[in-house]
Amino acid sequence: MRDVIVIGAGGGGPVVAKELAARGLSVLLLEAGARHADPRAEWTHFENDANNPLTGFLRFGPADRTKPAWFRELPQNSFLFQVAGVGGTTQHYFGNCPRAYPGVFAGYDGPDAAAYDTAHRFPLRYADLVPYYEWVEATLPVQTAAMGRKERTFFDGCEAIGLAVQTTKTTLGDSFRPQQNAILQPGGTAGLTRDVTQLAFPQATGCTLCGYCLQGCMEPIRAPRNLFAKRSTDNSYVPMALTADAWSPGGVPVALIADAYATRILTQTVNGQLVATGVTWRIGATGEVHTETAQVVVMAGGTTESPRLWFNSGLPNPNDWVGRGYTDHYFDLMVGLFDKATDSSRGAASAARADFPGHGGMENIGLGPALQAFAMQLSDSGARGFYSNGRGFTGPWDGPSGRPIGPELKDALQNGIDRLLNLLILTDDDVEAQNRVVLSALPADEHGPVPKVIFRPRNRTARTLANREFLVRKATDILRGAGATKVFRLDWAPLILHVQSTMRMGMSADDSVLDDTAEARWVKRLFIADNSALANALGGPNPTLTSQALATRTAEQIFQRYFGGAPWVTRESPVVSTDDRVTQAVIARGL
Amino acid sequence: MAAPDLSRRIFLARIGVLGAGALLLPGCLGPAATGTDLAELGLGALVDLLRPVLGQLARDTLNGFVAFSVPGPDDYSRAQGTPRPEPGGIAAGGTDFLIQNLDRFLPFPDEIVRPAAAALVTALADLPLPIAGKLLGGILGPSVVTIGLVENAVLFIVQNDSAAPLSLPVALLLNYVATVVNPASLDGAFLSPFARLSFADKARAMQQIETVQSGLVALIDSRVPQPLQSSVSGLLQFLGGALYEFAAFGNFGESQRFDPATRSLTGRPVGWQLTGFLPDNQTGDGWDELLGYYQDRREVTDA
Repeated sequence: MRDVIVIGAGGGGPVVAKELAARGLSVLLLEAGARHADPRAEWTHFENDANNPLTGFLRFGPADRTKPAWFRELPQNSFLFQVAGVGGTTQHYFGNCPRAYPGVFAGYDGPDAAAYDTAHRFPLRYADLVPYYEWVEATLPVQTAAMGRKERTFFDGCEAIGLAVQTTKTTLGDSFRPQQNAILQPGGTAGLTRDVTQLAFPQATGCTLCGYCLQGCMEPIRAPRNLFAKRSTDNSYVPMALTADAWSPGGVPVALIADAYATRILTQTVNGQLVATGVTWRIGATGEVHTETAQVVVMAGGTTESPRLWFNSGLPNPNDWVGRGYTDHYFDLMVGLFDKATDSSRGAASAARADFPGHGGMENIGLGPALQAFAMQLSDSGARGFYSNGRGFTGPWDGPSGRPIGPELKDALQNGIDRLLNLLILTDDDVEAQNRVVLSALPADEHGPVPKVIFRPRNRTARTLANREFLVRKATDILRGAGATKVFRLDWAPLILHVQSTMRMGMSADDSVLDDTAEARWVKRLFIADNSALANALGGPNPTLTSQALATRTAEQIFQRYFGGAPWVTRESPVVSTDDRVTQAVIARGL
Repeated sequence: MAAPDLSRRIFLARIGVLGAGALLLPGCLGPAATGTDLAELGLGALVDLLRPVLGQLARDTLNGFVAFSVPGPDDYSRAQGTPRPEPGGIAAGGTDFLIQNLDRFLPFPDEIVRPAAAALVTALADLPLPIAGKLLGGILGPSVVTIGLVENAVLFIVQNDSAAPLSLPVALLLNYVATVVNPASLDGAFLSPFARLSFADKARAMQQIETVQSGLVALIDSRVPQPLQSSVSGLLQFLGGALYEFAAFGNFGESQRFDPATRSLTGRPVGWQLTGFLPDNQTGDGWDELLGYYQDRREVTDA
């Protein structure tokens, strides 16, 4: 029997695993996808090789790339951007680590208190989470992002409209700033040269501004895994988890099994109470099925996958909120064309942002040509100039919203991938019961019935819709202020990428699945530590940091409640994931 | 309403099968063919004959879509009225990209692709027909028996081929909506009615697929057994957007120039040429892009 089994080695699972391994617990970490142990031998920077959702090495599918990806039913025009493999979606994330707005937590009484999703606040105060934010920010570590030309362009636009500069970690009002990124900032020759012979570790350290955050980080060349620039969990928490004995007195290395798809949570009734007792999983390469027992089980497979596993395990759903309340920041994309260089495809993929608490935020994002083209074809407004699907919104941008097609798309991209600026709109969207995960009626796969993700973008709350409209206008102002000669509004169909709150913790037992410790209300010894545990959409900020802070808190709760331990976050200092003890162990063990 | 045999002929013409068959299988499916000729072949032989024909039809149709996505100096771009001097999607290998991804990797379960494709084929056959009779001139030759066999063969292929080649039903769908928006597309250059459309008509054809209120969606739903009804129409809506997105991704990506054995490029991808990406073709391990830190601030705290 293990002390703890963690299902999913994405953004949250490795946090719980690393924290509890450091306390001396025996932890098994299961990952459904591949473990890319040698990125230089397995990865490239090429977009189709990396990001093709059907065949790319960062797709959502089996470790064996010759097998088809996993099917998820989407009964609407939308795109579900999942990633399998150790690191999960942090493999392709941009490392953006803003904290949630204080207004989304219990007890908030600021003057704008009514501006948030007041019906679905976190069942804890912002101040309660701050120590955990600080712990994660120190562990990853999170640093202020350097500036390249696309950030300079964005800042020019923000300055032009008179937006305030934010110089704190807590967002207090409308403002812009460099991102707080989980990226080691450039050192040595990094950021100063494009000469590949000058860009190997240790001559170069940290971010080389290569522009390939979305393709998985393996920079600088020849750096030890835990010193790769981007702090995706495969480069930070997982190396720490696997070497816990090397840097934590009494620590026990986590056992990691990849290509292991959890298919069932085992339970039994003890004293009239349902209790989690173990996990069954299937090895992709062989089809072998394994079962192990554990004192505690932690679900961390993701916002779409955790509800699926819950349903497929036959676990109770007495208030019918399992899978409901899916939030996605109701993204939109604004693309500005310039007659000057912006270097959009270069540098950290997103190193600047603006926040508008009560409405949401926005950030610049850099993409390569294939994903830029993809991003400019995703729309709920049809084809500009031809049909609008009943939308085709007009505003301060140029022409109606919608995808430019054919000659117009080609003209826009021929203007130059490095002469445009993308602003990703992060709407503060409401928790709504209608947006949800259910089991598909389509045929099951080898892991059981598959999830179906239902979004009704045209039927979102008035507050959500108004927030999105507010933000696209602000973004247009910023792009124009920065000198854009043409601004497209894509009116994206749901791009389900920032995913939250399908197994939400909540203040009320009527509309939540988890209590305020992230333990399931109806199954004891079962916790959730992925984005699905978040109570709401955080007000718009990117979710990973908050999920990791909450996962750290959840680890403490597990240790105290079921292993008789003492909390540590407010009593100890964190070990940074770049610590030399971790590095030496990573090298010695060939990790 | 057309008689059943006429409906079948018209339907097969509209999805491009009769036209392609007449061109590629002279004597079998052309106006001169007799029902007896094909009836003697039997279903199995006809399936074998038709499979490559349908493959060519699918390719021709998707060529038309790829040129619609990113036009270039190719015949398909010229036919739609938007030729461009620079290379476009055809030159970028966009058609191969779409076919490979649709057929080999799009992870729709066979169990849904087959009934959905069959529903598509049978449902489309019964849709109202806004086609002037004279346009059908050359395709009414084969007898009732022949037409029935051809339809059965198409159904057999979409329902039974082990690889569930999604490119075929997608192409048949594009051709069908092409004839809805412009019945004159039944005849002309290319195998595919969709490829014969003007750029604006191609957009109107896509509108038929993508529009939420499309009667096509409702009709296909009605042909699929519960509990799959809303799933099939939902997938169709997904497909409408996905075709645009995937074609663009393929047209601007590196797949045509990527050698998986060496994990390197054999040349400069068209999308990189068009967008000026990596102008000096360097490996992409870093840029001299560091301008410093905004307001020289390297750290922030709440303290």
